[in-house]
Amino acid sequence: MQIQTFIIWAATAPRIPSTRLALHHFDTSYSLRLGALRPSVRAGLLCEQKYGALLNNFAAADHVPQELEPLNAADFVSEASQKAQQWQRGAAVGAAARGCQEGSGEGRTVMQAEMMAQAEMMAQAEMSPPLGASISSKIKCYTFPRGDITRFRPARPDSLGLLDYYLMDAASLLPVLALNVQPGDFVLDLCAAPGGKTLALLQTGFCGHLAANDISISRTKRLYQILHSYVPREVRDTVSVTSYDGRDWDQVKGGTFHKGAGAGSLLLQVLVDVPCTTDRHSATEEDNNIFHKRRTKERQMLPMLQLQLLMAGILAAKPGAEVVYSTCSLSPLQNECVVERALDIAEAQFNISIHVEDLSHFRTLFQDTFSFFSDCRLGELVLPHLTANFGPMYFCKLRRM
Amino acid sequence: MAARALLSGAGRALLPARALLPARALPAGPGPCPRRGCGEAAALRAAGFSQEQARRLLALQPRLGPEQREAAAAQLLLLGLSAEAALALLERSPALLRLPTERLRERAEELRRLGLDGGRLERAVRRSPQLLHVPRKRLRAAVRLLRERCLFTAEQLREVLGTCPAVLQEEPRTLHHQFQYAYFRMGVQQKEMVKARLFQTPFAELRNRHIFLERRGLYETPHKGQTQISNPKLKDILQLPEEDFLASLAYSTPEEYEVFKKLLAREEEEKEEEDVDALYAEDDDDLDSGGSETARE
Repeated sequence: MQIQTFIIWAATAPRIPSTRLALHHFDTSYSLRLGALRPSVRAGLLCEQKYGALLNNFAAADHVPQELEPLNAADFVSEASQKAQQWQRGAAVGAAARGCQEGSGEGRTVMQAEMMAQAEMMAQAEMSPPLGASISSKIKCYTFPRGDITRFRPARPDSLGLLDYYLMDAASLLPVLALNVQPGDFVLDLCAAPGGKTLALLQTGFCGHLAANDISISRTKRLYQILHSYVPREVRDTVSVTSYDGRDWDQVKGGTFHKGAGAGSLLLQVLVDVPCTTDRHSATEEDNNIFHKRRTKERQMLPMLQLQLLMAGILAAKPGAEVVYSTCSLSPLQNECVVERALDIAEAQFNISIHVEDLSHFRTLFQDTFSFFSDCRLGELVLPHLTANFGPMYFCKLRRM
Repeated sequence: MAARALLSGAGRALLPARALLPARALPAGPGPCPRRGCGEAAALRAAGFSQEQARRLLALQPRLGPEQREAAAAQLLLLGLSAEAALALLERSPALLRLPTERLRERAEELRRLGLDGGRLERAVRRSPQLLHVPRKRLRAAVRLLRERCLFTAEQLREVLGTCPAVLQEEPRTLHHQFQYAYFRMGVQQKEMVKARLFQTPFAELRNRHIFLERRGLYETPHKGQTQISNPKLKDILQLPEEDFLASLAYSTPEEYEVFKKLLAREEEEKEEEDVDALYAEDDDDLDSGGSETARE
């Protein structure tokens, strides 16, 4: 801000800007939790965020890697996938080595030893075999390396008019990767707008049918725009867009969604990416800021709304199905507390048993791209950091037993 | 004689390395010397320079007339500079020898009136030889700004000029901008600015360090004189070397700070472009309605 503008502002502005209220709220609410990390996180929130380029597999986009790789950008999903595969190989090697070389240090190369160490770490993290597969799903997303603040050029259409990539906070892909969509799965995206994660789900190519719901009609418009700009008609036909209040989902389930699903079909995967205080937006943008005085009630009711949406997602899932809960806030009240409360209610009121899936291996697999918080009670949290200014993004994976 | 000059200079801070070179042995008696130089060298020695120093002086601006050289050198001595300091100054800024002696005298008088006397003047001139070249108008404008707009006391002004003599060479607008930033944006008073030698730090560095702290939640602009946190002192913010600043004030790493500086530079660049665009937009309103369309893309 120019000095002159600042002086005038300081002298005449009657009310405190919402961004200032938001920041003050974050300073007081998060200081205990984040401790020594807070200055870095705060600076990250207040500086320009970093983007990733989600490749559009439906467009003719082969030029994109050729264009981006000389600039040092890389597909972080495939890098993580390679890492995961190395570990799996390492685990096999480790098992064999342990089997036939007990007690003898001979013949072990440095690389073998390293792979074994990592495999041990993975074993402790209860990595399940499908991890390698999920990470090697068809999602591709380019990011510039740590500390590199280069921006992507705007997306360009191919000859059919489909855009070559979608610029988004790369951390938003992590909940989608966690969901681990398998071929033919039915997927419910309960709060789908504006549509970045929905698009990512479609990029896997595995969605047998996708229900994209959002209560806000204006934001759903944006979702339609994204679908039309990125996805060809035959794939769009597998998506049903609805505008229900997500909390009422079980009441609509007899309707449109299942009509197309066919007999005996199961709802297998649910993404509940709830409305939240959108910390980064609230700290920097005045427009539509949830910390504005007139939205105080709405903001205070958020954890309740989030809990109700998560419960709706859990109830929509059948036994064996997975539910991923995500927010773009740092607040434990909107993150772990909501999940814990939902677990209690599911057990006590609905007799539903839920297992919290361990995603700690994500931290190791993606540590070169993102900055993770290491002390979540459950789920994982990407922290903004100047060298890797993605997030905030909280995500937690539940499996209905 | 050279040794004496050395000893007398020992009490002053930061002698140039040249001063510590061993003096050449003086000739035992009148020995061969260039015809031109002999008379001049004698005059310079009479003024107070050693044989060696005179030789060095003569090497500067060889085509200069002897009177000019002697007068300029003598004037510097009259200002209170030691022979070695005067010589060092002239070696760094030989153009000073060309200044009309009267100008030199006037300028020095002006500076002395501002409180830069004796040692302070010498230090100031040594640090910024250009000081003696500054047009009087500019000198006075800078002083007027600092006294009347920034409200530094006379004593504070002396201190500022002594520690940051380059302010007298700055555009008053730049000085004012930096002052206003510290005063309004950072809530710092004049006393602290003087202690922190505010004007020694380039504005970009001041802003980088301040905004870095502010965004990390470690510096707060006072509101009605109050802050929720206790701000680090401006002196520490500006005077600490970068790695100490990062470690003990900002709790950060060089890596993080490097990225921050790049991001901030880009923000500023884009803000300026916005401001320029806005300016052009205003101009467009003034254009004759029947006339040209500006390509404003």
